[in-house]
Amino acid sequence: MPELADRPQPATGRRGPKIVGFLCDWAVASEGVVRDDGTMRDLPNVTLIKIPCSGFTRPAWLEFALRNGADGVFVCGCPLGDCFNRYGNNLIGDRVEQLRRRLERQKVNPERIGALFYGKHAGAAFVDAVRAFSERVAGMPGPAFPARKPAPATTGQGPAASTPGPAPQGGQSGAPAGREGT
Amino acid sequence: MTDRASTYVLWIVVLAAVGLVCTVGIVWGELTGHHRLGGALIGVILLAYSFILLCLRKGGFTSV
Amino acid sequence: MYKRLLAGLLAVTLRLDTLIARVYPDDFNPLYYTGGLSNLFLTVLVLSGIFLFLYYTPSFDQAYTSVQFLTADVPYGQIIRGIHRYSADGFMIVILLHLFRNWFTERFRFSRDEPWISGMMLLTLTGFIGVTGYMLVWDQRSEALVAMTANAAAQVPLVGGWLRHALFGGAGLTDLLLPRLLFLHIGPAVGLYVFLLWHYTRIRHPKVWPPAVWTLFALGFVVLLTGLVPVTSQAPAVVAQRPQTLAVDWLFLTPYWAMRFLPPLVLIALAVVLIGYGLYIPYQLPETRSELGLKDSGVAQVIDANCTGCELCYYDCPYNAIVMVPSPSPGVTKAAQARKLRAVILESRCVECGICVGACPFEALELPRLLQKDIHERVLTACQS
Ligand code: HEM
Ligand code: SF4
Ligand code: SF4
Repeated sequence: MPELADRPQPATGRRGPKIVGFLCDWAVASEGVVRDDGTMRDLPNVTLIKIPCSGFTRPAWLEFALRNGADGVFVCGCPLGDCFNRYGNNLIGDRVEQLRRRLERQKVNPERIGALFYGKHAGAAFVDAVRAFSERVAGMPGPAFPARKPAPATTGQGPAASTPGPAPQGGQSGAPAGREGT
Repeated sequence: MTDRASTYVLWIVVLAAVGLVCTVGIVWGELTGHHRLGGALIGVILLAYSFILLCLRKGGFTSV
Repeated sequence: MYKRLLAGLLAVTLRLDTLIARVYPDDFNPLYYTGGLSNLFLTVLVLSGIFLFLYYTPSFDQAYTSVQFLTADVPYGQIIRGIHRYSADGFMIVILLHLFRNWFTERFRFSRDEPWISGMMLLTLTGFIGVTGYMLVWDQRSEALVAMTANAAAQVPLVGGWLRHALFGGAGLTDLLLPRLLFLHIGPAVGLYVFLLWHYTRIRHPKVWPPAVWTLFALGFVVLLTGLVPVTSQAPAVVAQRPQTLAVDWLFLTPYWAMRFLPPLVLIALAVVLIGYGLYIPYQLPETRSELGLKDSGVAQVIDANCTGCELCYYDCPYNAIVMVPSPSPGVTKAAQARKLRAVILESRCVECGICVGACPFEALELPRLLQKDIHERVLTACQS
C-alpha cells in the first residue's frame, strides 16, 4: 500500500488518484460494483460511501474530503428527473455547481468535484464514467488544495482546457464533469 | 459552430418554414371556411414548435 | 414472486428510459412527467369542456341537435369538440402510464401511500366521467350505455334498485335524465380537483406541468388528430328501439364491450376487485428499510440549538415532513440567536432520505444513525487507505 496521506507529490502513483464517491442507495446497484471494503471492484483507488439519497450530501463533506487527501470527489444519484426522493439529485447537482464555483476561487480545479447521474441498472456506464473522471483527476497536478503560499507553478493549473482525458459528450446523461449542457 | 449544431440549425430552419407554410394555410382555411384544415394545421404548427424546442436544446442553444 | 415481477418491471422501465434518453435529454423524458401530462390534459379538458357547455342543451329533444349544431355550424366547434374527446383519451393514457410508472418504480413506498390512494380515486372518477361524457351526446351509443348501465346497476344485490335510481333518477327514461347526466359528468370533474388537492399534500413542488416540448407535442397531436379524424355522433337515439351496435372507445368503454361475453355482475365484481387491489398495492410490501437491504438511518432530527429558522430544509423536504413553527426562545449558536421560527419534523411522514441534512447550512439536522461524524470518519478512512 503506498502511503497517500499527506503526500506532497502529484497523486499519479501506481494506484491512481484517491477518489471518494458518495453513492445513493437508489441509484446504481452496488452489487458487483463495490467490494466489501467500499472500494470499487474495477477501480481500487475509488472508495464509495453509500448514502440514503444523493441529496443527503452536504457540500461541506466534499470539501472535507478534498482537504483531507482525496484528489477527487463525486456524488452519484439517479438520472435527473427520476430521483426516488423527487428532487434530491437536482438539489445536489446545483449544490455541486455552487461548490465548484466557490472552490475555484480558492484555486482548486473545479473538475475535481463531480456529479454523476446513473440509474439502478446502469452499473457499466457508471463504472466507465468514474474511470473517465479518475483519469481526468490523475492528469491534474498537485494536491487538490494548493499549498498555503501559492508557488507560481501551481497557478498554471487553473485552465481546465489543458486537462487531458476524454472530453464529456454533450447531451449524454451524467457526464462526469457535472451537469452537462446546463 | 460545430457540425452537430449546424445540423440542428438546419432542422430548426426547416421546421420554422413548415410553421410558416401552415400559417398561410390557416389564413386560407379561415377565408374559405375550411376550419377543419385550419385546425389540423394548428396541430402541425404546435408539433413543429415542439421539435424546434428539442433541436434548440440538443444543438446546445438553450439550457435546461 | 410479486417482488421478482416488480424487479423485472423496474428493469424494463429503466431500460425504456435509456432508450428515450437517446433522443430526448434526461429532463425532457416524458415518462418523468406523466403526472404533469395528466394535469395538462385535465386542464385542456376543463377549458374545452366550458366551451361545449355553453352550447349544450340537456334535454331529450335538443341534446343531440345542440351537439350537431356545435359541430357543424359553430366556427371551430368541430375542432373544440374533437379536442375534448381526444384529450379525454390522452388523459386516460397518461394516467395509466403514470400509474404503471409509479408502480414499477416503487413510488408507492413509505409515505407515498397518500398520493397513491388519492390517485386510485382519481382514476376511478376519470373512468366514470368518461362514460357519462359519452352518454351526454344522446346518440344511439349514449342510449345503449344508459340502458346497459341501468341494467347492470339494478342487478347489484341489495342496493341495485337504489343505485339505479341514484344514477338515473328511476327506471326508464325520465325527463330529468340528461340534466342528471350533465351533473354526473361535471360534478365528478370538479371532484377531481378535490382529490388532486389530497394528491399533492405530501408532495413538495409537484411537477404539475410537463416541459414545453411535451406540452406543445401533446396539444399539437390532439389538434392534428382532431383535424384528420373528425369526431362525429352516431345516429340520434330513438327511444323506442334498442340499438344493436356499440362503437367502442377502448379506453373508457371496454367494460361495455365485455358485457357481450360476461354477465354484468361479474364485471362489477371484477371492477371492485381491481380497484380494491389497487388500493392495497402500497400495503402489499410492508417492508422496512432494513428489509429492503438499506441502512436504517433513523428519522431525521433537528438539533434545536443550531436551528436558525432559515426554512431551507422546509423547502427541500420532498414529502412535506418538515413544518416551521414559531420559536419561543432563541437557539444556542450565534446564528440561531435572532430566529423567529424553528424546524420541526413530522416523524410519521419522514422517510429518512436525509435531503434536509444536505439542505441545512447550519449543521442543525442529522440522521441519528448516519451522523456527520460517521461520514467524516468514513471519508478519512477512505483517504488514508
Ligand atoms: C387525474 C389524474 C392524476 C393527475 C393529474 C396526477 C398528477 C400528479 C402529479 C402532478 C404528481 C407529481 C409528480 C411529480 O412531481 O413528479 C403526481 C404524483 C403521484 N401520483 Fe398522480 N396524478 C393522477 C393520477 C394518479 C393515479 C391514478 C395514481 C396511481 C394510482 C397516481 C399516483 C401518484 C403517486 C404515487 C405520485 C407520487 C410520485 C412521486 O412522489 O414522485 N396518480 N401525480
Ligand atoms: S429525512 Fe428530512 S427531507 Fe427526508 S423525509 Fe425526513 S424530514 Fe424530509
Ligand atoms: S435548514 Fe437547518 S437551520 Fe434552517 S430551518 Fe432547517 S434545521 Fe433550521
